[in-house]
Amino acid sequence: MPKQPYAAVIALFRFAVGLAFAVLIFSVLVQVLGRSVFNRSPVWTEELTRFALLYLTAFGVGLSYRSGDLVNVDIVSEALPGRLPFILRFVSAAATVVLCAALIVPSWRFAMIGNFQTSPALGWQMSYIHGAMLVLIGSLLLFALLRALAMLTGRSEGRPVSDADTPQ
Amino acid sequence: MSLAILIGVFVGGLAAGIPVAVTLGLASMCYLLSAGIPLVVMPQKMYAGIDVFVLLSIPGFILAGNLMNHGGITERIIRLANALVGWMRGGLGLSNVAGSMLFGGISGTAVADAASIGGVMIPGMKKVGYPGDFSAAVTAASSTVGPMIPPSVPMIIVGSLSGISVGRMFMAGAIPGILLGIAMMVTTYVIAVRRDFPHQPWQGFAELGRSFLSAFWALAMTALIVGGLLSGMMTPTETAVVASVYAFIVGVFIYGELPLMKVPKVVIDSAISSAAILALVGFANVFGWILVSERIPQMVAEAVLSVTDNKFLVILLINLFLLFIGMFMETIAALIVLFVPLLTLAQSVGVDPLHFATFAVLNLMIGLTTPPVGVCLFVCAGIARLPLAPVVRAIAPFLLTNIIVLLLVSYFPVFSTWLPSLIFD
Repeated sequence: MPKQPYAAVIALFRFAVGLAFAVLIFSVLVQVLGRSVFNRSPVWTEELTRFALLYLTAFGVGLSYRSGDLVNVDIVSEALPGRLPFILRFVSAAATVVLCAALIVPSWRFAMIGNFQTSPALGWQMSYIHGAMLVLIGSLLLFALLRALAMLTGRSEGRPVSDADTPQ
Repeated sequence: MSLAILIGVFVGGLAAGIPVAVTLGLASMCYLLSAGIPLVVMPQKMYAGIDVFVLLSIPGFILAGNLMNHGGITERIIRLANALVGWMRGGLGLSNVAGSMLFGGISGTAVADAASIGGVMIPGMKKVGYPGDFSAAVTAASSTVGPMIPPSVPMIIVGSLSGISVGRMFMAGAIPGILLGIAMMVTTYVIAVRRDFPHQPWQGFAELGRSFLSAFWALAMTALIVGGLLSGMMTPTETAVVASVYAFIVGVFIYGELPLMKVPKVVIDSAISSAAILALVGFANVFGWILVSERIPQMVAEAVLSVTDNKFLVILLINLFLLFIGMFMETIAALIVLFVPLLTLAQSVGVDPLHFATFAVLNLMIGLTTPPVGVCLFVCAGIARLPLAPVVRAIAPFLLTNIIVLLLVSYFPVFSTWLPSLIFD
């Protein structure tokens, strides 16, 4: 059991992104095996694969921000003297927070538009699928906020990290 | 005014070190606010950008490459490459390039290639007397072959942007990829002769056979991927997932070098890498939509065509522009933002979309090895424990080679269009 709240958040998101990927793999394999071995082609697999990809992106984007997989161009910002690189790293985290905070309500509205639709094959209400964008924005907001707070409290330099020990 | 805000925020955000995806989002948001367009357009366009059938294959190909990478293929591929070309002057340098070509058929990204091959080859080359700067340079330069030889993440992205099938895109990159590899081997050999680099003794056909058998299961994945796509029996997504299952079986059960306990971490890390690419695609789709609504592709085309409508010069201008952008911008981001405007320009002078897509990807791959932000250059200099400057000097002849191949592929469409036409038409 993770001791720190941030470690629990990381573990939760890692589990969720892994689960989304597992659903994607399962769904594709059902399609391949169904067609080639059992001579049956389920219609729902393509839809489930697409939905799994949307949630894989949604849960994974915050972690990719944390690990640095969400690439940036730091050749200028990191070459500056003194505390300027630190300040720009903070500006970067703050800008991410601002973008995501501004997009939370629009993402919620977009999810609600899905209330009027259901997916053709699975019959799922599309608000749950459109909701992947809300999760995406929320996950990015959460990890950017964690980094900004860790920098403000002097517990992080604001650089990408891949271990679960750094509080961001 | 709104357009100036879009470009200003984009350039400022990149310079400040804000992640490219976030910068694209910020610039788009500022544009929408200044133009009075509701922000709900953003999640809508992001959703539409990610929910594209072709992109479903990206996580699968990344996972297949990572599983193979953790499953002990690197040493086997290098052993085979050594047995093939290690006996020639500069043999380890040639093995390095050959290894990248073989590895390129398994992994879809250049950085994975640079890190995997470099991790083994650079220390190995230094140990037998190769200069560290040359060892790092040849590894970085040859890693650009990877994304040209199928499978290739950038080619999948281009497929999603242009509507060209992934199978065609993969086949279009194959010959330029092989050409690039051969050209890099020639360059390595010439440098090796001039600088009197060592060579290893010929290890005999028995070792060649043994090393081939040892690497067989890894190399067979390339055949599985290409065969799966070309046979029409599987979609790119299905091919990618089947390749992942295959890589899992090879790594865990055949080679026995991938502990089962490690698999969940590899799966999750691959998902995170994929999420970064897909989020970038999502944010870039909003940005791209704004560019199209502002008729930027047409404006770029008209501006260039007002100067010249000579096909030769337009191709040259596109290449110079992409080489410049590739020096500063991440490959996939550059592709997503610039592909559509430049395709419009290229098509207006009669360039085939498949041909354009191939030389655009090849061009941006070169950016991975050019200062100041060439990722592969940094990775290899880091492995060699060298500052960037000597590696930049050592990579210069390889860059020249890359540019010669780029010009060949740019001015002779047959390199990119012949194989797809042969197979698909």
